[in-house]
Amino acid sequence: MTAIVRTLAIRAITLLGVLFAVLLLLVVSLGVTGVSDKLLEANVNEELRAFRIAQSQTIRDPNQLEQAVAQRRVELEEFYGLDTPWYRRMLPQLWRVMTLDLGRARSLRTADGSNKISDIVLERLPNTVILLTTATVITAAIGLLVGVRMATKVGTRLDRAVAYFAAVSFAVPAWWLGILFILIFAFRLDILPAGGMYSNPPPEGFPERQLDLLKHALLPILTLVLVSIGPSIYSVRTMTMTVAQEDHVLLARAKGLPEGKVTRRHILRVAAPPIVTGLIFGLAGSLSGAILTETVFNWRGMGRLFFDAFSGQPDEGVIVALTFLFTLIYVVARFILDVLYVILDPRVRY
Amino acid sequence: MAQSSAAIPQQPAPTATMPAEEQEPASAFSLRGALRLLVATGSGRAGLTLFLILVALSAYVLITYPRDFGRSRWSSPLYWADNPSAAPPVWTTWLGKEAVRHQRFTLTEPESVTQRGAAEVRDFRVTIDHTTSEPPEFVSVTLSGITFHSRAPVVVISLIRPDKPDAPVRLANVAVQGPRAGESEPYRRYYDSPLRINLTQQDTASDALAQFFQQQYPDLTPPATLDQSLVDALFGRPAADGSGRIEPLTGEYTISVQALVADTEDEIAPMTVVYGGTVYGWMGTDSLGRDIWQGLLYGFPVALLIATLASLASTIIGASLGILSGYAGGVTDTVIQRLADIVSNVPVLPLLIFLVFVLGSHLYLILLVLVAFSWPGLTILVRSMVLQIRSGQLVEAARALGASKTRIMFRHVFPQVAPFIVAQMIFFAPGAILAEASLSFLGLGDPSIPTWGQMLEAGFRTGALYVGYWWWVIPPGMMIIITAMAFMLLALGMESVVDPRLRNVS
Repeated sequence: MTAIVRTLAIRAITLLGVLFAVLLLLVVSLGVTGVSDKLLEANVNEELRAFRIAQSQTIRDPNQLEQAVAQRRVELEEFYGLDTPWYRRMLPQLWRVMTLDLGRARSLRTADGSNKISDIVLERLPNTVILLTTATVITAAIGLLVGVRMATKVGTRLDRAVAYFAAVSFAVPAWWLGILFILIFAFRLDILPAGGMYSNPPPEGFPERQLDLLKHALLPILTLVLVSIGPSIYSVRTMTMTVAQEDHVLLARAKGLPEGKVTRRHILRVAAPPIVTGLIFGLAGSLSGAILTETVFNWRGMGRLFFDAFSGQPDEGVIVALTFLFTLIYVVARFILDVLYVILDPRVRY
Repeated sequence: MAQSSAAIPQQPAPTATMPAEEQEPASAFSLRGALRLLVATGSGRAGLTLFLILVALSAYVLITYPRDFGRSRWSSPLYWADNPSAAPPVWTTWLGKEAVRHQRFTLTEPESVTQRGAAEVRDFRVTIDHTTSEPPEFVSVTLSGITFHSRAPVVVISLIRPDKPDAPVRLANVAVQGPRAGESEPYRRYYDSPLRINLTQQDTASDALAQFFQQQYPDLTPPATLDQSLVDALFGRPAADGSGRIEPLTGEYTISVQALVADTEDEIAPMTVVYGGTVYGWMGTDSLGRDIWQGLLYGFPVALLIATLASLASTIIGASLGILSGYAGGVTDTVIQRLADIVSNVPVLPLLIFLVFVLGSHLYLILLVLVAFSWPGLTILVRSMVLQIRSGQLVEAARALGASKTRIMFRHVFPQVAPFIVAQMIFFAPGAILAEASLSFLGLGDPSIPTWGQMLEAGFRTGALYVGYWWWVIPPGMMIIITAMAFMLLALGMESVVDPRLRNVS
C-alpha cells in the first residue's frame, strides 16, 4: 500500500512540475514580449475609470479630480508592480495566473453579463467536459468491444481495413471533418443543426431541453469519435493480440476454460494497463480536437472561448487563463488515469 | 496535433526486441536496400508515388510562381479584381448546369481608325457571343496605359447589342487627366496603376440604358429598377408581355472602346476587356475573387517544407538526446529524462496556440515551437533502444577493442537505431502539417505565406459554409489529407524496413 502511495506521490510531483513549467513558460513569454505589461495596464485603466466615476461625485474641481486620479494611478501601478521590470513581479504574476485572477474580459460575457474571466471560464468549463467525456467514453467503449473482437481476426481483410482506417484518421483534421458534416447534415440534408448548443429560443421543460442539447451535440461528438475511433480500435487489437499469444493464455485454454472467461480474466486483465495508456493519449488528442471542434460547431465551451478570444481584437487575459486551464485539465486527467493504471497493474512502481 | 505525437510511444520499438544475433551489421542499412523494401509493400508503393507527385507539384510551383506570391498576389485584392467572386469551378457545368464562361481579351490594335481633322478616333472592339440566359458576373475594361503629347484623349466605351446593332449604348466616358502644372511631354497616365472600369456598376451606363430602352422599345413598359439589375438589363430586354420585367437576350454583343486622340503619336497601350464568368477555373474562386486552384497549388511546397523541416529538426533533436541519454547515463540521463517527461506531459496544441500568439505568426516561429514540443517521445524510445544495444555483444566487442565512446555511439549504436529513427521521422511529418493547419485555422497562420489551413479559415470566417461555397472548404481539406496520407503510407511501408521480421510476411 505504501508503495502505491509512493508511486502516486512521485507521479503527482512530476505532474506538478509540468504545471509549474507551463506556468513559468506562460509568465516568461508574457513578460519578455511585453504582453504582461499590456494586461496589467488594462487592469489599471479599468480600475481608474471606476475610480474617476466614483470620485467625480464628491470632487467638483476638475483639476483636483485629475490630481486624485493621477495619484491613484501611481498607487495602482505600484500595486501591480508596473513600475518594476517584469521579472521582479513574476511571483505575483504566477499567483494571478494560477487563481485565474486576470481581470476582466474585453468583450466576452457570461450569460448573466459578468465579464470576470474566472466567471466566464467556470461557465464554459462544464460544456467542454460534457463534450469531451462523452466522446472519450464512446470511443473507449467501441474501441474495447471492437478491438478485442478484431484481435481474433488478425490478418484478415477486415483487419487491414481497420489498420488503414486508423492511418487515415491520423491524416484527417477533426475540424475539417466537422466542417464536412455541417455541409452535409446541416445544409444539404437539413436534418441536424449547424452549430450552437440550443435552438433559438431554447425549449423549456425536462425532456425537451435535454433532447435539444443532444441534437446539437450529435455532430460534434460524431466528429470527435470518428477521428479517434480508428487508432483506438487498432491499439486495443494490438495489445490484446500480443497478450493472447502468451503462455498463460495457452494454459488457460488447455485447462478447458470457456473462451469468454479466457478473454476476460486472462487476456483483458493483463492487457488493461497499456489499453489505459492508450486512453490517456486518446484524451490528449481529444482535448486539442475539442478546441477546434468546438470552434467549428460554435459549441459554447472553452475551445470556442479560446477562438473567440483570438478573433477580432485578441483578449490576452482570456488567452492566458485558458492556456493554463487546458494544461490543468490535461494534467488532472492524466493523474486520474495514472491512479487507474497503478490500481490495474500491481507491478508498476517507479 | 497532439494526436500523432501521442501515438509515437504506442509504436512498438521493433529493433529493441530483436535478439542480438539477428542484428544486422552497420553497413547493411543502405539507401538502395531500404528503397527496395519500401517498394515491395503496397502502402510503400502508394506512399512513394503520392510523395513523388507532391514533390513534382511543388517543383512546378517553385519554378512558375513568384517568390513573394503571398504578399504580391494572394493578399493583394487588386490582382484578383478581374475575377468573379465566389464562382464555383468550371467543371460543375459538366453536370448540365448553365453558366457563363469567364473570358478575358487583350486589345492591342484598333479595329478602325477614323481621321477627324488633326485628331483621330481609334476604335477597339471585342465581340462576345452571349449564349446563356444568365448574364455575366460583370463586364470590365481596364486601361493599362495612355501616352499623349498635347491634349488628353477622351475614351468612350459603348455596348453594341444584338437587338439594335446600329444604336450603341454609351456605357462610360473616361476623361483622361490633362497636363499638370510643371509636367512635360509626353504625358503618361495609368501605367503604374491601371484604370479599371466596371461597366456593370456605372451610373452613366444605367442612364444610357434606360434611355435606350425608351427609344427602342417605346411600346413596352421599361423595367423599373435598372440600378440593381444593371447587368441583367445590359444583357436583356424589356419583356415582350409588357410586364416591366427583363428577359434575357442572347446573341452577339460587341464592346467598343473608342479613343479620341489629338495627336497621331499618342499611344493607347493594350487594354483588357473581361467578361466575368459565373464559373471560374478548376476550383472556383473565393469571395475576393482569388483563384482557389492557384492557392491550392501554392500549398504543396509550403506543406512539404513544414513537414520536412519540422520532422527533420524534431527527429534530430529527439534522436540525439535519446542516444546521449541512453549511452551517457548518470546525471545527463536523469536530466534529459526528467525534461522529456515534463515536455511530453504538456498539452501541445493549447501551448502552441499560446506561444504563436504571443511570439507572433511567423512560419519559422510556428516550426520552432512545434519542434520544441515534439522531441520527447522519440527521446524516451531511442533511449530504451540504446540501453538494450549498449549491453549487447557488438558494443561490448567494440569496447574491448578500445573504441572511444564517441566512436561507439556513431559507428555502432546509431546505425542500429537509424532505420527506426527514419521511420519515426516520416511518421511525424503529417502531425506537423496538421498542427500548422490547425493554427492557421484559428487565424494564427503566417499572413505572408498562404496555406491550406488559412484558406479554410478564410472560408469559415466569412461564412462560406452557410452559403454553400463548398469548393472553398472541401478542396483545401482534401489537400491536407492527401499530403498527410502520403507520409502515413510511407511510414506504414517503412515498417518492413525497420522490422526485419515483417519482411517475410507480406
